[in-house]
Amino acid sequence: MKYPQYFYVERMKGMELQEREDRLFRELLNLKGENILIVTNSDQLNLFGQTFRPIFSGEIVEVEHGHLTLSPITIKMVNAPFFKFPVPLSIPLEKINHFTPNFDPNTRFPLT
Amino acid sequence: MKNEGIYPNMLFPTTNDIHDEALIEHFRAGMGHKLLAITPSFPFFFIGKIRDVVEDHVVVDVETVPNQELENRRWYIHVHNIELFFIEREEGPKIPELNDEIF
Amino acid sequence: MKRYYHVVAIPIRIVLNNFGNYNPDGMMYVLKENESKVKELVRKNPFTPVDLVQPLVIRANEGDTVEILFENKLPFATGMHFQDVDYDVMDSDGANVGFNDSTLVDYGEKIVYRFQAHHQGAFHFGDLGNPSSTEKGSNVNGLFGCLFVQPRGSWWTDPVTGKPMNSGVFADIHHPFLPDRREYAWIFHDEMPTLDLTGNPPLNPITNQPGESTHAVNYRYEPVENRVRLIEEGVVCPDCDGEEVHHDSWVFGDPATPILRGYVGDPAVIRVVHGGVKETHVFHYHVHQWFRDNTNPESEIIDSQSISPQSWYDVEPLYGLGSLHGAIGDAIIHCHLYPHFAVGMWGINRVFNTFQDGSQCYPNGVPIKALQPLRDRPVPPKPTKEKPGYPNFIPGKVGFKAPRPPLGIIGGRNMTELERNAAVPNPRPGAVFADPCGNVENPPVVEYNISLIELPIIYNRQGWHDPKGRIYVLDEDLDDICSGKKEPEPLVIHAPAGSCLRVNFTNRLPSIADGDAFQLVTRTYEVGMHIHYVKFDVLVNDGANVGWNYDSSVLPGETIRYEYFADTELKAWFFHDHLFANYHQQHGVFGAGVIHSRFSKFFDSKTGEQKLHGTQLTGQHPFIPDYRDFTLMVQDFSLIYDKEGRPLNPPQFPGSEDDPGLFGVNYRNEPLQFRLEHDCDPAYSFSSYVNGDPVTPILHAYEEDTLRIRLLQGAHEESHSFNLHGLKWKEQRPDIESRFISQTHIGISESFTLETHLPQSGDYLWTFETEEDLWNGLWGLIRAYDEEVDFLIPLPDKEAPPKRTKPLPNCTGEPPEKAKVVNPPLNAPANAPVKKFDIVAFHTPITYSKWGEHDPFGIVFALRKDMDDILSGRKNPEPLIIRANRGDIVEVSLTSYLEFEKFPFQDGIWPYPPVKEQAFYPPSVRISLHSQLISYDVKTSAGETVGFNFDQSAGPGETVHYKWFVDLPLGACGLWDMTDIRNHRSLGTFGMFIAEPRGATFLDPYTLKPVTTGNHVIIRQPFLPDIREFGIVMYDGARLVDKQEQLIVDPIAGFLLPGEDEEGDENPEVDTYDFGSRGFNYRTERLINRLYENADLEKLFSSKTHGDPSTPVFESYAGDPIIIRLVNPSERRRSHTFHLHNHYWNIDENEITSQVKSFVGEMVAGKAVDLPLHYGAGGFYEYPGDYLYRSGNIRWDIEQGMWGIMRVHSERKRHLPPLNYGKRD
Repeated sequence: MKYPQYFYVERMKGMELQEREDRLFRELLNLKGENILIVTNSDQLNLFGQTFRPIFSGEIVEVEHGHLTLSPITIKMVNAPFFKFPVPLSIPLEKINHFTPNFDPNTRFPLT
Repeated sequence: MKNEGIYPNMLFPTTNDIHDEALIEHFRAGMGHKLLAITPSFPFFFIGKIRDVVEDHVVVDVETVPNQELENRRWYIHVHNIELFFIEREEGPKIPELNDEIF
Repeated sequence: MKRYYHVVAIPIRIVLNNFGNYNPDGMMYVLKENESKVKELVRKNPFTPVDLVQPLVIRANEGDTVEILFENKLPFATGMHFQDVDYDVMDSDGANVGFNDSTLVDYGEKIVYRFQAHHQGAFHFGDLGNPSSTEKGSNVNGLFGCLFVQPRGSWWTDPVTGKPMNSGVFADIHHPFLPDRREYAWIFHDEMPTLDLTGNPPLNPITNQPGESTHAVNYRYEPVENRVRLIEEGVVCPDCDGEEVHHDSWVFGDPATPILRGYVGDPAVIRVVHGGVKETHVFHYHVHQWFRDNTNPESEIIDSQSISPQSWYDVEPLYGLGSLHGAIGDAIIHCHLYPHFAVGMWGINRVFNTFQDGSQCYPNGVPIKALQPLRDRPVPPKPTKEKPGYPNFIPGKVGFKAPRPPLGIIGGRNMTELERNAAVPNPRPGAVFADPCGNVENPPVVEYNISLIELPIIYNRQGWHDPKGRIYVLDEDLDDICSGKKEPEPLVIHAPAGSCLRVNFTNRLPSIADGDAFQLVTRTYEVGMHIHYVKFDVLVNDGANVGWNYDSSVLPGETIRYEYFADTELKAWFFHDHLFANYHQQHGVFGAGVIHSRFSKFFDSKTGEQKLHGTQLTGQHPFIPDYRDFTLMVQDFSLIYDKEGRPLNPPQFPGSEDDPGLFGVNYRNEPLQFRLEHDCDPAYSFSSYVNGDPVTPILHAYEEDTLRIRLLQGAHEESHSFNLHGLKWKEQRPDIESRFISQTHIGISESFTLETHLPQSGDYLWTFETEEDLWNGLWGLIRAYDEEVDFLIPLPDKEAPPKRTKPLPNCTGEPPEKAKVVNPPLNAPANAPVKKFDIVAFHTPITYSKWGEHDPFGIVFALRKDMDDILSGRKNPEPLIIRANRGDIVEVSLTSYLEFEKFPFQDGIWPYPPVKEQAFYPPSVRISLHSQLISYDVKTSAGETVGFNFDQSAGPGETVHYKWFVDLPLGACGLWDMTDIRNHRSLGTFGMFIAEPRGATFLDPYTLKPVTTGNHVIIRQPFLPDIREFGIVMYDGARLVDKQEQLIVDPIAGFLLPGEDEEGDENPEVDTYDFGSRGFNYRTERLINRLYENADLEKLFSSKTHGDPSTPVFESYAGDPIIIRLVNPSERRRSHTFHLHNHYWNIDENEITSQVKSFVGEMVAGKAVDLPLHYGAGGFYEYPGDYLYRSGNIRWDIEQGMWGIMRVHSERKRHLPPLNYGKRD
């Protein structure tokens, strides 16, 4: 799915970034178009009664200073390990606990 | 800005500040658009239009949560407690419509 | 803080109800301060219940030290054994175990027990001085009670007087930082010897035969048979039949059983405890729901829950009394097992909406006792003439049946003025005094027209049928079902959460049910539709006739409108009739509603058309994975006939509730006796190649599909054990932290949603696994297709499956091929380490005890390297226990050395332990090995030959290969044979597989050498402490002989103190599934042997007198980390409780917030649990000593040998190296 770059964060320009080498941002930018596995912070999430550990995989289609976006995004549910969420999902960088790049979303692995 | 204290090489804003502020800005840029937000705390799931961003809270006219009693009202959602979200844009995927009609 | 109680054990006459039923030889614990008072009251009131005659309930706070001065006034040594508390086993165990000092005391003596309570709960205490199961035992006569442990800082008062109290079944609990709450003890107990006023065993007035055993709550029961007599005598309600008014206070006044009183909205807890000896009951509470584990808000929401002997749980109704919608009125609480309910195991939660100061009366003039308002709640309004409050606005007539509700019945009456004053602002049919849908503006409305009809139902291809099937149907399906165009199945209706449900229910039953071999003529002239889980106005909409409520049922031809609200996703809710349920529910009067997530839609899985009912649907939702939805409703007491019209398993006389009839699931069964097509070999009974597909439900799905299985029990009295082979699910579906299971016990009215997915194609077996259930046909398949079929739409969010390239398999009558290649499951990585087990199955005698009990025909699984030692007698076999680590591929080679001539019953009739519907089923010489929980390709490695999968059994001299993958450290997994459940299992064809953490190695605890099998090993792992692992294989259904080679007919042969029961029988009724010998790990220590040797009951468990038991003595040092792996892979339907003295654990080993308990309830075929003991060996204080591990069933487990010892040493023993010895070398 083509992912239109819509938001251009004008106001970020005002922040004093030049002193800060945001390497993580650039590394993530370099991963755009690749698949990634990301685990976020909470114990569990709940979608309409369906609970799951926050384990996601998918293609990075957007990287900004505060978040990245995966599309399509697979939510690794124990009862549906290859469930593709109907819309892309953005993940705040501060919610990422850990990630591993170049991850094939079709990999099978235990989820608990 | 340089820090003169015990970590003289520490830079401000910190990396975390940048991430947090940038996220707020992203929500601000999404004002007027539809938001889907997933949080680990009750009621776990919101869909609605972003009305405003107040400090680090996004103000949403919520159309849908998992139960009817808490929807069609304005919710203030702490941006930094949102675990996953999607902001609809003019082009690109649309958040599915939810309605209670059974057929 | 310290608390002191002086408790006396006394003999007491217990009057169980107002009809004077009594137990002359009752026993109870009582506080010393009440002893003379209660004796005097009983002396003065020999025929009426005395309030003080109640099970002793004492209270303490978390962290308290409690001292009990215990005094014995019973004519045998007795004591008090407390569960769940921390004590020194040498001075406070309330037992006499192993080499401990006895903490029982003789008549006239006293002892001090001292303990601390470190967690909250409703802890059972009881006697272990006289463990006899007969009417001469102590527990059966009432010698039990409870310690309720409250949050620290609590205090308690009497709900009537508001004064502090020292004991009592009801209390108001107060706390500075927590809401006040009502606390009600609900102590189930069963089998209490009971006489009627004349001193004779009570007769059932309908059958004129001895009635059912007593099933009681808090020493009270209110059986229908007493109340029916008043109708027969013309005292009350001349036009009534009986069951329909059993709970009607308008006719009879209030029952003698507990009435839990409160005001609407009061926070409350019902502490449910099983003080009885035998049966597993199901606690059900109308209108209300609660968390299965109330320390874990992510646990399941439920409204009925099984409980096995000597276990407990707390029921904290969500939203307080009256639930979310504030329903006032009488909510009945009962054991849902119908014969128990009928015999009196019920009471009422009475929710008032006006202040009760003691000046009001019920409609029959009986004063309403005062009820203190909770201190932090508003005082309810005072009753007025215009608004007298519940129940005094209801226009009933005392002595007659409750009135029908206003508005609800089509063409029925309007409200009276008092009713109008009491009504909600917008009263309407089905919602008059509470408005369940009112919290939501314009909720979507789903309307169903449902009728209850009678029609014949055919259960299987052999023509077994119920000529008087009674089922709920949608009105639009009436013609199709009655004409045979549609096959009858339990009605399952579906709706999304947030819906307001309206049901127009019509009674289309004949008003008279004719008599037959099973039942007597009964006038079932009114029926209703009682619902679980959803929100509703209990006064007018309960589909029942309870207390001072309306009778919300209808007469033939009438229609009533019910209204419910589904506030949240609710799994499957059960519905059934509540008026003549004990008469006809087993004919099929049950169904379910499934409340899915909001915004869900449902489709016919074949046509893709939208649909709102059916046992198999496809569910679709915009934001969560789409799924197949599959409902299974299990039944027992199915009153069916064979095709010649002969009744199958009829009772001794019509109307008897002594386990009549057979079994079904969704009105079908597939008995194994009819599945012997190939050479009469049971090994292929589950094969569709040989015997065709079963008529029982087959769930169709594609590989990778997500499933939701809705599991319910529709009828009638028994426990069942659901197992799903090759799949697993989270025990608490809303809690992703909870453990995986592949088995669950189920009792009538319980509901489970099992969420899972199909990893790869093949036929997955589902079973109700106990021998009698499986034998009689309670099994079916889940079929996962790898290619497209024209009768199954793909899940809407999945890609279409590949086009079909090969034809679907057919029944050929020939056994399937063996798999050419045995692949590991798809999720196994290619480089996974491989662990190989060369396993053999062979005949060998097994010595079960030092008393000479043995099985000359045993069949065991063993490692090939141990075979010679076993056959030569150097090694007495134990159930095979093997281990592998997470991430390992396990390659099993299984070879059969079975020989037809070595089976005990070569004529194909296995006589003992028996099953219902005995038939020819010759022994199979093939063998297989099925494992629970871990991953494998079911087509090749499930260890069973099922559906259209490959042959996975080995014939004599043949070897079959399986590949398993240990995807998770799942702990204990049952292992068992699936080739012949009749001729193999009783002989020992089971064991345990343990899925251990990665990096673990296993050491012999005595030699510290690496081992591959054994029930006690040290688990050594670099990042974990050394842990002692005790593997306990609980079994039942064994067929043992004694030293003289005489068959031991347990449980009867094991009775201590046998005598005549109340019916004058020397041998009380023993159900088929109670037969067989039992114990742990092919060992048993039947107490009768010990009693013959030394008649002193007090010494039965003493090793000083009798030496150590034959069952495993598990040794450790104080403080050693211990994990117990506990499985029950055996066969009988009676569920057991497992209890270990002075130790406790999280009930879910994966979920650290789960409750802490000292027992495992409902242990039945397939149960597998892992018990990491808190604080290690010796418990909190690391006290050395001998700790009993045992069943909680006095009737009939403990006597029969189901106990053993966990021995905790204080000092280093030469033979037992300490943990971590040499670990760092």
